[in-house]
Amino acid sequence: MPDSSSPPSIRRRLRQGRDRLATVLVTAGGIGVIAALLAIGVFLVVEVVPLFWPTGATETISPQALWLSLEAAGDPARYRWDPTATLGTDEAARVSLVPLAWGTLEAAAWALLIAVPLALGAAAHSALFMAPRLRSRLKPTLELMEALPGVVIGFVAGLVLAPWVERHLADVLAMLVLLVPGLLLAGGLWSRLPPRLQQAMPLGWAGLWLLPWLLLLLVAAHALSPWLEAWAFGGDLRHWLEVRLGLDIAVRNAMIVGMAMGFAVMPSVYALAEDALSGVPRSLAEGAQALGATRWQTLWRVVLPAASPGIFSAVMIGAGRAVGETMIVLMASGNAALMTWNPLDGLRSLAATIAIELPEAGPGGQHYRLLLLAALLLFAFTFLVNTLAELVRTRLRLRYRRLGGGP
Amino acid sequence: MRPVSGSRARLPRGEGPGAWLAAGSVALSLLALLALLSLLAVRGLGHFWPAPVALVVLEDGRQLAGERVREVPLPEGTGRERLYRTGNRDLDGARWAWVPVSAITAVSHPRDLVVLERRRWGEAIGRLTALESVTGERLEGEAAWAALEGRLVELAALRRARDTLRDEVILPRVRALEAGGDVDRELAIANARLRELQAAMEGGRLILATADGGQLTVPLEEVLRARRPNAMSPPDKLATWGEGVWRFLSEGPRAANTAGGVWPAIFGTVLMVMLMSVLVTPFGVLAAIYLNEVAHQGRLTRLVRIAVRNLAGVPSIVYGVFGLGVFVYGIGGTLDEWFFDATLPSPTFGTGGLLWASLTLALLTLPVVIVATEEGLARIPDQQREGALALGATRLEMLTRVVLPMATPAMLTGVILAVARAAGEVAPLMLVGVAKLAPQVPVDGDFPFLHLDRKFMHLGYHIFDAAFHGGDVQSAMPLVYATALLLVLVILVLNLTAIFLRHHLSTRHGALTRR
Amino acid sequence: MSAILRRCLAPWLLLAMLGAPQALAQQVAGTLGAVGSDTMAGLMLRWGEALTRQHPGIRLQLQTSGSASAPPALVAGTTRLGPMSRPMNEAERRAFIERHGYPPREVAVARDALVVVVHRHNPLESLGERELDAIFSDSRRCGAREGINRWRQLGLDEPEGRIRLHGRNAASGTQALFRRVALCGGHFRPEVNEHPGSAAVVAAVAEDPRAIGYAGLNHLTPGVKALARRDAEGTRHFPDPRAVRRGDYALSRDLYLYLNLPPGESLPAAERAFLDLVLSPAGQAIVEELGFVALPETRRLRQRQGLALDDAGR
Repeated sequence: MPDSSSPPSIRRRLRQGRDRLATVLVTAGGIGVIAALLAIGVFLVVEVVPLFWPTGATETISPQALWLSLEAAGDPARYRWDPTATLGTDEAARVSLVPLAWGTLEAAAWALLIAVPLALGAAAHSALFMAPRLRSRLKPTLELMEALPGVVIGFVAGLVLAPWVERHLADVLAMLVLLVPGLLLAGGLWSRLPPRLQQAMPLGWAGLWLLPWLLLLLVAAHALSPWLEAWAFGGDLRHWLEVRLGLDIAVRNAMIVGMAMGFAVMPSVYALAEDALSGVPRSLAEGAQALGATRWQTLWRVVLPAASPGIFSAVMIGAGRAVGETMIVLMASGNAALMTWNPLDGLRSLAATIAIELPEAGPGGQHYRLLLLAALLLFAFTFLVNTLAELVRTRLRLRYRRLGGGP
Repeated sequence: MRPVSGSRARLPRGEGPGAWLAAGSVALSLLALLALLSLLAVRGLGHFWPAPVALVVLEDGRQLAGERVREVPLPEGTGRERLYRTGNRDLDGARWAWVPVSAITAVSHPRDLVVLERRRWGEAIGRLTALESVTGERLEGEAAWAALEGRLVELAALRRARDTLRDEVILPRVRALEAGGDVDRELAIANARLRELQAAMEGGRLILATADGGQLTVPLEEVLRARRPNAMSPPDKLATWGEGVWRFLSEGPRAANTAGGVWPAIFGTVLMVMLMSVLVTPFGVLAAIYLNEVAHQGRLTRLVRIAVRNLAGVPSIVYGVFGLGVFVYGIGGTLDEWFFDATLPSPTFGTGGLLWASLTLALLTLPVVIVATEEGLARIPDQQREGALALGATRLEMLTRVVLPMATPAMLTGVILAVARAAGEVAPLMLVGVAKLAPQVPVDGDFPFLHLDRKFMHLGYHIFDAAFHGGDVQSAMPLVYATALLLVLVILVLNLTAIFLRHHLSTRHGALTRR
Repeated sequence: MSAILRRCLAPWLLLAMLGAPQALAQQVAGTLGAVGSDTMAGLMLRWGEALTRQHPGIRLQLQTSGSASAPPALVAGTTRLGPMSRPMNEAERRAFIERHGYPPREVAVARDALVVVVHRHNPLESLGERELDAIFSDSRRCGAREGINRWRQLGLDEPEGRIRLHGRNAASGTQALFRRVALCGGHFRPEVNEHPGSAAVVAAVAEDPRAIGYAGLNHLTPGVKALARRDAEGTRHFPDPRAVRRGDYALSRDLYLYLNLPPGESLPAAERAFLDLVLSPAGQAIVEELGFVALPETRRLRQRQGLALDDAGR
């Protein structure tokens, strides 16, 4: 805009100068902030490198030590994490990250196993069946659930839930057995109700009025568990598990961690999955229903396939959260660096190990760098998983736009 | 269970079993949430209710007095056993007693059982047999109880006076003395006064007959509070409950975090979160404006945007590691070398502290603020910007006068979400500056008043510490519940504010923001 | 009464008044810094409280980031008191001498012990040294022939199944002591649940009839049972305070205060007041109240003499 005629041009130039300055500042600030964020990855890499590259700062560790170790010399120990006892001594270092990675993934897997069906079920129900008024209340409620601090969930899981489950193993099993048939029974009973009652308890509000029914199921499970134990497990479930299946039971075990972390992860999976499901263009679902499909069939055959990338990314985000969650695992898992397939045994995760051991590991030492390597693994894993999820989601958004409507 | 499949055909709108399972998963999630919240509420608030004290007679004739805590089945599978909180640790070395239920022959709740909270050795439970007043007079029965109550009121006033004297007169003078001031005389007077107060507190003792026939002599000065729970009327109990809740909120922890209140932790949490939001807001908004308004919208920007979003999903402990390595050891260590050389090697900024914790959490919540602000910015129609520019505004003016005011609610939402996330985050704090017990809060009368280098207490870490580190988990549990409830409440309030704001925003700008 | 109150509530007024010239000879005031052990944090705090009662001008500033943090601070002279839950090792001592020219003054202030605990209903009463090693370690350096991981192997029917192991986290001094003494320097089994605090170990064992764990003596509760330790001759050593005080119980240790005290010099007033309190019967009563074990009387008196604390009336 070349304009240089009148005295205001000085003011204008001042304004433009200020504008330019502000732009420069915003640019610098913005780039600075983003760089600071991205520096996390760089920092971790820089700090970890001396572990493998002799720089004189620390003794290096052979990459093999981080995976396999110590089968030689008649030592039965493999895959052991015991850095404080072995680093800096002349013993072979026991710094295998494998059991920690195993524990992390095992905990995340159990968490997802519990969170994903719950979250997807809830998402499907709220996207397709739920009354709009309830739905507008449910979403914030589940968001609140997402904001519950890990330390509270971990405390309840480790100190309240774990001993309770250990004492009432049969009750929990009975509940699991009863849950699905019980819900189906509710549906069956509902369909036989007189229409007036059905209208008073519509399917759209089932999320609420099923609550007392679930409580009833809990009571029934508690009442039935002795029978179940006597009938199927010779009177004592724990004994049966130990003798017949050879499963040892730890009080704080992978199942407890899975339950607690499933509870923590479920809301975020739900939110994303629900977005994906309700984002599917209306026309698709309406078309299917016009052709005579029930709502459930519509969901299963039409909406779900269309939204599957979104669901996938929701699960991925959930996995990322479960892998990185620290306090729940720290408080509910027992922190025993084991590698077993037994879901009733303890585990130890990367994040919990970092939280316990890093404050005591001197900066720059081998132990310190090993823990930073663990952090780098977590960072890389979650970053990858999240990027994947984000890419899938972007593609999904494009697809919806092409299908017409949608955000 | 069978009839379901048969009845499917007769469903009015055959939704099939899937619909019911889906509805069930909503109900199950809600049930779990409700169970958790009610557990916290019942256990957390129930702790402050003065529980009745039972006098238990056992088969072998032994007696014990205490509050019933819980009951579990015996490991052999036959019968149950009960846990009583019996106090009197100075007599038998234990604060608790496990009793098999089958061994109990009688339980009664005599009205004259007294529960004393003491400065040392925890609670004492028994019958008040006698009280020797300050003047050496010996009282018994109801007169003793009345005298005790009167004396406790006096003692409380004296304690308050002593604490005020110490905090407001003596400590500032001690600091002045250390700084080379000439306050010897004032200090001498104040100290003499303090001794007087202390002397006024001393004297008198009470004699308690414990249930097992022992005798406990307690100097009156060591008694903090006394009550007879079995003789209390419901309004009395309610008053005690209220007082207990208030003390929990307003006092500092005692007995290695297993008793007392959480005031320093509330203070530390709030202060840290405030500092964090002061740090995160400008930077987050700056980055969002840059990404959305200034930067060239190309492939690189898109990548950066994805990266920022991903950083929101990076585990918090990784941020903690970064904070420890870069802020504490890196920047803090350098600061110490430059400015606090005199105190090395004991670190000033080279160890975890308030500043580093706030910075780490600010970094952790940056993506949240950036994403929320960006969403707000993106929702503003381009016509608004174009209109402003067409009227001759520079970009700066367009941003500050048009765009930012419209994006303010989104920014606020982002900050509040960030605050809610930060208030509940514990893992990174364990690495960068939280302390199990920080008797000095980071704000005081010493220059520069706000001590960024100090460690601080945090509600979330307090839960972890009391439940796993403390002296006695059993006695810490009620306080852990109460602290957890408090933390959840704080976070609920913050989240509700965010939800309300967002709702408000979407209705207010609904018309404007539809593209 | 009301007169007292009125005067108390206006301390400022009091200072503004003429103020009778009270001759207070021992005017001890100042800040006493201490850097060191986490285990002793509670003790130091309580001692600090008691000290402030006696000398209101003294403030105790406490930094408890672990025993290892005490020696560097003492070497640099930033603190004159270093609480430690273990004796200084050779390197730390050498660093101190290099800097100051004299060794640090070591004062034992209390005794502590590790106890092996089981659930209160566990019939087990004692464990041999080798058995303990065979239960907790997979290296068995104390000489056991095979590992023990079932209660049956200890000759018990009652808690059936696997022994569930509980212990402290790797960075702690408690774990290091247990490893050194009970495992003969060997390795823990990976099955050991690592808890971040002794209290958590005790709480976990109290909940679980099949559990065994080790914790600090001061964390014992009625929910668990402390096991006696059988030595090679089969004598049982029960971790009661008397045995710990005498040193008969192998898993015990001293808790120390390290001082920077040049030879021949006497203690500065604030430190003197503090040590006087710590080594007085009242100070040792605080030790017992917190569940540690007080020093033997002769040792306490000997240390008082060594520090030239006047023994009159104490």
